[in-house]
Amino acid sequence: MVRGAPILKRVGSLPDWALLLFAGLVYLFLYAPIFVLMFFSFNSARSTQVWEGFSLRWYAELFRDQSVLDAFYTSMVVGVTATAISTVIGTLAALALARHSFRGKTLADSTIYAATVMPEIVVGVSLLAFFVAVQFQLGITTIIIAHVAFCISFVTIVVRARLSGMDRSLEEAAMDLGADPPTTFMKITLPLILPGVMAGALLAFTLSFDDFVITFFVAGAGASTLPLKIYSMIKFGVSPVINALSTVLLVATLVCILGGSRFFSRKEE
Amino acid sequence: MRERQTQERPPEAARGAARPAAVELAGVTKRFEDFVAVDDLTLSIYEGEFFSLLGPSGCGKTTTLRMIAGFEDPTEGELRVAGRPMRGVPPYRRPVNTVFQSYALFPHLDVFENIAFGLRRAKVPKDEIRRRVSEACALVQLTGFERRKPARLSGGQQQRVALARALVNRPKVLLLDEPLGALDLKLRKEMQIELKNLQHELGITFVYVTHDQEEALTMSDRIAVMKDGKVQQLDTPANLYELPANRFVAGFIGQTNTFSGEVESVRGERVTLRTAGGLELEAFAPAGREVVKGSEAHVAVRPEKVRFGEAGDNAFAGEVRDVVYLGSSTQYVVELKGGERLVVYRQNAREAADSGAGDEVWVAWDAANCLVLGE
Repeated sequence: MVRGAPILKRVGSLPDWALLLFAGLVYLFLYAPIFVLMFFSFNSARSTQVWEGFSLRWYAELFRDQSVLDAFYTSMVVGVTATAISTVIGTLAALALARHSFRGKTLADSTIYAATVMPEIVVGVSLLAFFVAVQFQLGITTIIIAHVAFCISFVTIVVRARLSGMDRSLEEAAMDLGADPPTTFMKITLPLILPGVMAGALLAFTLSFDDFVITFFVAGAGASTLPLKIYSMIKFGVSPVINALSTVLLVATLVCILGGSRFFSRKEE
Repeated sequence: MRERQTQERPPEAARGAARPAAVELAGVTKRFEDFVAVDDLTLSIYEGEFFSLLGPSGCGKTTTLRMIAGFEDPTEGELRVAGRPMRGVPPYRRPVNTVFQSYALFPHLDVFENIAFGLRRAKVPKDEIRRRVSEACALVQLTGFERRKPARLSGGQQQRVALARALVNRPKVLLLDEPLGALDLKLRKEMQIELKNLQHELGITFVYVTHDQEEALTMSDRIAVMKDGKVQQLDTPANLYELPANRFVAGFIGQTNTFSGEVESVRGERVTLRTAGGLELEAFAPAGREVVKGSEAHVAVRPEKVRFGEAGDNAFAGEVRDVVYLGSSTQYVVELKGGERLVVYRQNAREAADSGAGDEVWVAWDAANCLVLGE
């Protein structure tokens, strides 16, 4: 406190314009590349550096490219399936960890957290080694399995946070009033943790949809998700089609997030 | 208040050995790892009785309640509700309902759905649910609030919803876990009277957990005073106050003056003991309380049973140390010659002479009001 005081004072005495400038630069650094990328997706020329006029031709080209649409479809199938599976498993794991004590709980608990900070490259390589060892055909199924594996931890953590804020006596009250455990879960626990479950699902979908490293290892030759497709397109030079695709992804993500937060704020009322 | 209750329900009726038991505990013990929360508890709670479990926190009263509700299973012993053994019976199949300390209202359901929750689980027909919920709302004066969410109710209203939600199921036994703890004093007093009236009207057995001795005395037919997982005394409020079994009960229920000393003589119920400070006290030992000459004993006298003056079985000179005006009475702290301090209450009547700090006074009390306590 005593040592911190002069520093606080020095920051306080910084002129307002300097602070504004600094904040502005931070935002510029964060968002300028994205805006440039979006901007040039509307360029009529092939260049991603020189502006020549407004056009939607790259969007048209994007939606005519069957391989991009295929990759998008694969990503959606993988995302939805992996989200559904990992949300169910992750929620159940959160319930088990929050509500019960059992042998090995501390270990289970810490491995869940460890999985979120595991380097993706390690996860990718080890999963590939595993699939090869059990002679599992690489393809969309292995991608889904891999995505479920890394999404579970995130869902569990988000749902658990919600559960820890929930009064345990609510479930006891339900049982006291004649609800058996399944009814208690459906009528009381699930409605109350639903915002957490939805947030977990949204996070899982986002992670699955834009995962590159792990998917790259386990995809094999057959299946290609959108991030893999973009990567392979870049290998043949940067085209404004990629800018257009990125813009579509960005807008879709923003719509998802805004819709989600709208949903949660209504729920909280 | 206490007087009135004793008249309404004489101790014989409350004790009535022939009355059927709503809840019976036989040798019930609950251990959490090495901690013994409830230690070999045996007691019967009669049908239609307002029964309180009273004690400081950690005495095992809430654990006892949770075992009756079915949230905990006894480690040892047997528990019966309405004559049925409860071992292995889950909470949702027991004929009891609970009012929780935190109320535990379902935040996503409105008042109506909260109260209807139990009836819906019991598959009661829709018309009857509507009728019974509105009856329950009327009973706790919540008519018109049916569509409110719990968050938009005051603490007192939430408490009433919790009560209605439990009572609407017409349980054999209603369990209440410090239900008034979160309310302010005035509301708490009002709710105490309302709860008592409600219990009288409905005739349902209430098992009430509290650490507030005044609350327990005001409302209960019988009280089990607990400490360290054991019942210290199970009695009517009047008996707990007038004839406390031991030092803990005497100290926990109301205010009291206790003295310790060596027993000099025992003549039937009459006991004489001498304190370390040299006081010779005439005391009374209730039937069945064993007092051995030469042993150490403890006696207690209530502050309002001590008079100023020299007339009485025990009369001592002392000096007033402290005077506190309490409204209807005044509290004096008197230091006796031997150094013992004594609290005395005197009604504030116009004719009573004032004594100030430093005054020399005599204090006296009768042997009948000086009770020998058990260990």
